[in-house]
Amino acid sequence: MGIGHNTIAFHQDKCDGCGDCMTVCAEAKSGTTDTQHSRLKIVPSVAANDSFELAMCRQCGDPKCVLNCPSGSLTKDHETGVVPWDQEKCVDCLLCTVGCAYGGITYNAAAGHVMKCDMCDGDPACVKSCPTGALEYNKSAEIYNNYGELEDLFVPGLAACQGCNSELLIRHTMRKIGSNVVVATPPGCIAGMGTVGFNGKTGSKIPVFHPLLTNTASMLAGAKRYYNRIGRDVTMVALAGDGGTVDAGFQSLSGAAERGEQMLYICVDNEGYMNTGMQRSGSTSFGSWTSTTPVGETLRGKTQDAKNMPVIMMMHNCEYVATASLAFMDDYYEKLDKATAAAERGLAYLHVYSPCPTGWRIPPESTNEVCRKAVETNFATLWEFTPDEGLRFTRPVDNPLPVEQYLNLSGKYRHLDDEQLTHIQNSVKRKVAFLNGFMLATSGSEAQMQ
Amino acid sequence: MLKQSRPRFDQATIPNDLCPIGTELITMLPGDWRSERPVVDRDKCVKCATCWLLCPVQCIVEMAAWFDISYDSCKGCGICATECPHNAIAMIIETEG
Repeated sequence: MGIGHNTIAFHQDKCDGCGDCMTVCAEAKSGTTDTQHSRLKIVPSVAANDSFELAMCRQCGDPKCVLNCPSGSLTKDHETGVVPWDQEKCVDCLLCTVGCAYGGITYNAAAGHVMKCDMCDGDPACVKSCPTGALEYNKSAEIYNNYGELEDLFVPGLAACQGCNSELLIRHTMRKIGSNVVVATPPGCIAGMGTVGFNGKTGSKIPVFHPLLTNTASMLAGAKRYYNRIGRDVTMVALAGDGGTVDAGFQSLSGAAERGEQMLYICVDNEGYMNTGMQRSGSTSFGSWTSTTPVGETLRGKTQDAKNMPVIMMMHNCEYVATASLAFMDDYYEKLDKATAAAERGLAYLHVYSPCPTGWRIPPESTNEVCRKAVETNFATLWEFTPDEGLRFTRPVDNPLPVEQYLNLSGKYRHLDDEQLTHIQNSVKRKVAFLNGFMLATSGSEAQMQ
Repeated sequence: MLKQSRPRFDQATIPNDLCPIGTELITMLPGDWRSERPVVDRDKCVKCATCWLLCPVQCIVEMAAWFDISYDSCKGCGICATECPHNAIAMIIETEG
């Protein structure tokens, strides 16, 4: 138990059938560019025109090819997850190809034997060659293998909405950081879903308290100073929403950042006061429908741009500032590591873009898709900043998708007209240009000063 | 599972003139919220753990050759079914089948 396996995912909507993956596979495995030696096949779809299907070994959990193999040349390696094929033992009976429903193991007439994918020892050549990103090396299992055994520090019964991104965030975050913490959850969904408890019971297995909307950072600062005085090493963590960070909690956070108080402050930005009925906040994006920026004959959603909170925190010269999106969980886990370490020296600030299925009018099952599209369109950029090393993009997007592809997923943007769309696209470009300029100005700040 | 939380303290040590709060965990389970339930096709699952990674309730449990769902706490959001790279999870309406 405790073992997952990385897998190669195929995104049919992105595949243009160029066949580069097949050429590269044949080259890597047989030293020829003849695609009949390729262990994966891209074939035109029979179901729809202009789309393609992938035939490739999936390294099944309970592989039928292995069951069918009479000679023991196919086995399931439960350590690596790969189903290796041993040519020495193979009797060329082809029963394996009959067992496989995915076209994953096929007869190569030119070579005179069957062939199948071996995942290139965890570094698949096909994925690297794919120009459109249709083939993706999905490494979710790495996180599972490292952290899946650790106890979830919240009870299963939190009353967050279906598909809630904040619930996902707090469970992963606290499991990773551990229980030697004091957690502050100011008014907002995270407290409201029951982490601080109700009816005398609690939803957390760790020390948690409920500050006011305005004083989260100052209460944590005081608690940390007390622990420092009695000589106990405890990490202070704030799990706050954008209202408690960008609006009402701003002065205490700004003060704590300026004083360099030791804490990890995580802002879960769902662009509004979603817990109290979806009112606008300083972080609500331009054009969004909220209950206080309604859509009617005169008003077409919010008329101002969102406050760029991560940049404001960067200007405080905090020990560590980063943005994250849970569609890129490996990126988030790395940033959590750095942020937790930085919280021992001063204030670390994480800004997580967190779509809200209820308040944004999105179906609960698409929450992660919205997270992903926000990054792929550059609506949300993923970067990190330290005073010494300056700003660095952790997942630069070279060819961003048009921002409509992100906006179209949420009902709160349903009413947008062309003028508003142009405004949003331009402000996305401006924000990225600003960050790029800032990155050039600060990259290797330490080195530039020499 | 590796326990991370510390043992809960002995409630008998609380003085009679104090009214403690937060000494017990919430026992509510949201499994009855669902209108649709995710069902894993064991043959299709390759144990890539994507469902576990993205499940907001963290109700995915590992079995020997596949990942399964704990229906006690699954809220039925459907993220696992949408994100599964091998389409191994289907959402079934609770009142049917």
